[in-house]
Amino acid sequence: MFTYLLRRLLLMVPTLLGITVVVFAIMAAAPGGISAQSLIEGLNLEPQAKRAMEDYYNRMYGLDQPTPVQYLRWLNNVSPVGFTVDEAGQFSGFSFWKGSDLGTSFRYGRPVADLVAERLPVTLLLNLLSIPLIYIVAIAVGVRAATARGGRFDTASGIVLLGLWSVPTMLAGVLMIGFLASEQFWRVFPTGGLSELEAAAMPFLPHWERMADLLLLLALTGVSTGAMVALALQASQRTRAWTGGLLGLVLGGLLAVQQGGAGSGMLYLLLGMACGVGLALAAAGSSPALRVLLLGTTGMGLGVGWAMALTPGGFVPGFLLDRIWHLILPVICLAYGGFAFLAKLTRSSVLENLLSDYARTARAKGVDESDILWRHVFRNSLLPLITVSATLLPSLLAGSVIVESIFSIDGMGKLAVEAVQTRDRELVLSVTLISGLLTLAGYLLADIGYAIADPRVSYD
Amino acid sequence: MEKRERSRDILGLGLLLFILLLVILGMYQVDRQWQRMGEMQQAMEEQAEDLRRIRGAVQALEARLRDGVALAEATSEGDGGDVPPAFRRAAQAAAMPDHARGDWLVRALPAGPSTLTPLVSTDAYASEVQQYVLESLLVRDPDSLEWQGLLARDWSFSDDGLTLTFELRRGVEFSDGEPLTAEDVAFTYRFIMNQDIAAPRDRAYLEKVERVEALDPHRVAFTFSEPYFNSLSLAGGMPVLPEHFYGPYLEDPEAFNQSRGLLLGSGPYRMPDPRGWRPDRGRVILERNPRYWGPVDPPFNRLVWKVIENDSARLTTFRNGDLDVYGARPREYRQLLEDEALRERTRHFEYMSPAAGYSYIGWNQRRDDAPTPFADPRVRRAMAYLTDLERMVDEIMHGYAEPAVSPFNPRSPQHDPDLEPYPYDPERAGELLAEAGFEDRDGDGVLEDPEGRPFEFDLIFFQGNQDTRRIVLFLRDLYARAGIVLNPRPSEWSVMLDRLNRKDFDAITLGWTSGVETDVYQMFHSSQTVAGGDNFIGHENPELDRLIEKARATLDEAERMRIWHAVERILHRDQPYTFLLRNQTLSFVDERIANLDKTRLGLNLGVVPLEVYVPQDHQRYTR
Repeated sequence: MFTYLLRRLLLMVPTLLGITVVVFAIMAAAPGGISAQSLIEGLNLEPQAKRAMEDYYNRMYGLDQPTPVQYLRWLNNVSPVGFTVDEAGQFSGFSFWKGSDLGTSFRYGRPVADLVAERLPVTLLLNLLSIPLIYIVAIAVGVRAATARGGRFDTASGIVLLGLWSVPTMLAGVLMIGFLASEQFWRVFPTGGLSELEAAAMPFLPHWERMADLLLLLALTGVSTGAMVALALQASQRTRAWTGGLLGLVLGGLLAVQQGGAGSGMLYLLLGMACGVGLALAAAGSSPALRVLLLGTTGMGLGVGWAMALTPGGFVPGFLLDRIWHLILPVICLAYGGFAFLAKLTRSSVLENLLSDYARTARAKGVDESDILWRHVFRNSLLPLITVSATLLPSLLAGSVIVESIFSIDGMGKLAVEAVQTRDRELVLSVTLISGLLTLAGYLLADIGYAIADPRVSYD
Repeated sequence: MEKRERSRDILGLGLLLFILLLVILGMYQVDRQWQRMGEMQQAMEEQAEDLRRIRGAVQALEARLRDGVALAEATSEGDGGDVPPAFRRAAQAAAMPDHARGDWLVRALPAGPSTLTPLVSTDAYASEVQQYVLESLLVRDPDSLEWQGLLARDWSFSDDGLTLTFELRRGVEFSDGEPLTAEDVAFTYRFIMNQDIAAPRDRAYLEKVERVEALDPHRVAFTFSEPYFNSLSLAGGMPVLPEHFYGPYLEDPEAFNQSRGLLLGSGPYRMPDPRGWRPDRGRVILERNPRYWGPVDPPFNRLVWKVIENDSARLTTFRNGDLDVYGARPREYRQLLEDEALRERTRHFEYMSPAAGYSYIGWNQRRDDAPTPFADPRVRRAMAYLTDLERMVDEIMHGYAEPAVSPFNPRSPQHDPDLEPYPYDPERAGELLAEAGFEDRDGDGVLEDPEGRPFEFDLIFFQGNQDTRRIVLFLRDLYARAGIVLNPRPSEWSVMLDRLNRKDFDAITLGWTSGVETDVYQMFHSSQTVAGGDNFIGHENPELDRLIEKARATLDEAERMRIWHAVERILHRDQPYTFLLRNQTLSFVDERIANLDKTRLGLNLGVVPLEVYVPQDHQRYTR
């Protein structure tokens, strides 16, 4: 295992080199190119001042040298092992631990390492929230679709997820802002950013002015969640469907009222019908777990909304809740496209294992069906999911480029876009280097995870 | 049995994790409280410092009183009592019955400024922020457009017109409590003129100033090397930088040139941390300067700029009321006007801002050391006849623009009202082109020059602007009808700059901002055709050069305006640029902002000293 790891780590080096060569070549070949002249933005420069600025940039970044030399120079700066350079720009020696220097961004005038250190956590936060979300939803849907193969759920989930997969993030993000964050429709979420300006002055945790408000909130939420869960578990299908439908109708009407005077009677009808049918279907579903989940969340939401309506004011969401509030839309945007692929993968691999000999043997032996599914089949079906996880990270990083610029979030994605637009070479190179590193690390982790999950796999 | 135990294990584990989470969250909570404590402590220290200073001043005064020094001199010199003219409008606003202090003014920036440090910053966004923090000696009155004293109480020219002496106001302090003196004004000039400071633009602007001397703490003299028409605005418009803050950077100019947020001044607002702003914050926040010297206290507690790049997100944020100002493009403006909900809670304004400037097509007259077809004034005039400005205004700008006649603002005395924009006249254009040797020789519908080469050129324009793109496509059709092939070349900004520097283009469309009185030396004087100069089209006309120089050296206003008219007539005749449009500024403003008014400088929303405010019962942000 150790030698395998070492080999893989060493193999990463040429791959990264390849990435940087390609990026460097593209940057150098771009129209306009990168030269000291193009970095001096202003037009009203006196000739001698211009000269001085150009000299400065040339000295800093070696922009007057031929491109291959510039590349080697950059490479030497970045690599932790290499030649040390003295003040005058001459090589003064060779060192194995000189440390890597990502350079200084042209546009921001700050060390690239600082910029990345600031931005990376934001992007990682987004991705760390969306990856588990994708996996949980995809696995739940995939397993269910596989056990009820050919059923209504299978077809419906397949259609819906494929539909989601084909919606471009750009459009979805703008639509979400337009409908869910706009005064014109429902202003539930903020339009962008990671926190409100007011949040800087808030305490970290949510805060209620009166203890009674908190108690009321807890009580109402508890009661309505409990009622909905009880409904989901105890009532007959017919009762469930009717109650769900009526509740949905009322909720839809409320939504239409919130929409304001602009809405017509048609809107009331449409929204009421849609919500009613949706909730009725959810309530009438045959899987108890899904029912409890859906109705339970609805109940919780109802309770919270109710309590909020009863106790106006006196509530400070706090920094934490505010941050979560801002993250919801971006995370959904980042995640929804990944559901279809993973769900289909889960479905096919669970199905394959369900039909295999060992599952049949277990069934013949009299093992409980749920034990077969979760203890035997599910474990074996995880392998392809682990393999795929490696490709998920780079695609999410790419997705965050779009999501971050739509939602005005200052993360790596936005940094990368700005860097490319302003020809900030040091920044572009570092961002691609780091994304490349993350991707390769993802592959490595997936391989290790593979070995852990499947004892048959060994890399020795 | 086994199952139950396991579920109990899971429950226990869950509880443990929950408690752990609570503890971690609690730690964050306490940490934030400590941070707030630190901030408050800092604010209190600042106040204590102020108190000590005031006590010192009072004691000194007392001592003088005890010594029996007459205060007659001081009182006669004091500025107290009446309001200085620069604050006239602000004082009027403050006297309104519903005037109230408080609330924030929140605006959006479509792109973040890369730096807020004065002199180094180049974009309009940075200067929008800086105008609230830095103050100059004089400001223009929004009604009369005359200069009025802000930091200066009075000023006078010497008899030869070469020395300009300013009398500074007493008791002006920077926002960190240090007094502003004549030394700071002299330092600002020294600082800008230092070759190591990356302020070539400001340096070029101030090149006519020979020296700036502080005569005493409250008198400063600007000496000019030759008479210059704009000397008052040069000296009076220079923002005054504090010596104690920026002075140390003379030792380390690179640190200044590379800095992103070094901003401290005497203005009504200040940065919460004058060194700490960074471009990646996604916002700019200015807070009220508690030590502001002015007689009228600024109304807003905070000025906030949010960076929102996505257009639809910006509009939605404005609709939600989270932005107070929204600048719309013509087409969008027309659509938004029909929006009932938006019209109810906002007010909309369309106005010509004198600083908005004009757009143009610049024809490159020399390329690769050989004259291009556009070196012939007849060709340029023909292009002007072929450019249908009326239709452009109606169809592309929806009427929210006017044809530009010349670089001079039509509302300024600099403009000669007899001049009209070139009408659309393809026949006249055809005659002119035929005179210049361009005719359709092979009958393919495209004009050829005497050597048989087709009349074809590339037009470079900035790809990011929809209106420009539509104008270029419209022009392509118009020119094609006249037998001229226009190849649109949408470009990135960096590519455009690069090609301008290398003069590697046929034609380019850009815009210049202008002011009340516009100097055209940079764009059209033949000395500016050098590499990096603004005369990148290579326009040379000795007569024009002479007139521009003469106008710049004439101090008498009426006389100078006559010369400017002559300059304008030449520009109109020669058409070095095809002048396109002057666009109106179209904006929506949240209704809670009171006292909005269109002045001759545009909407008074951006006027400093601030004169807009939010009445008490409309205030949204309480801090």
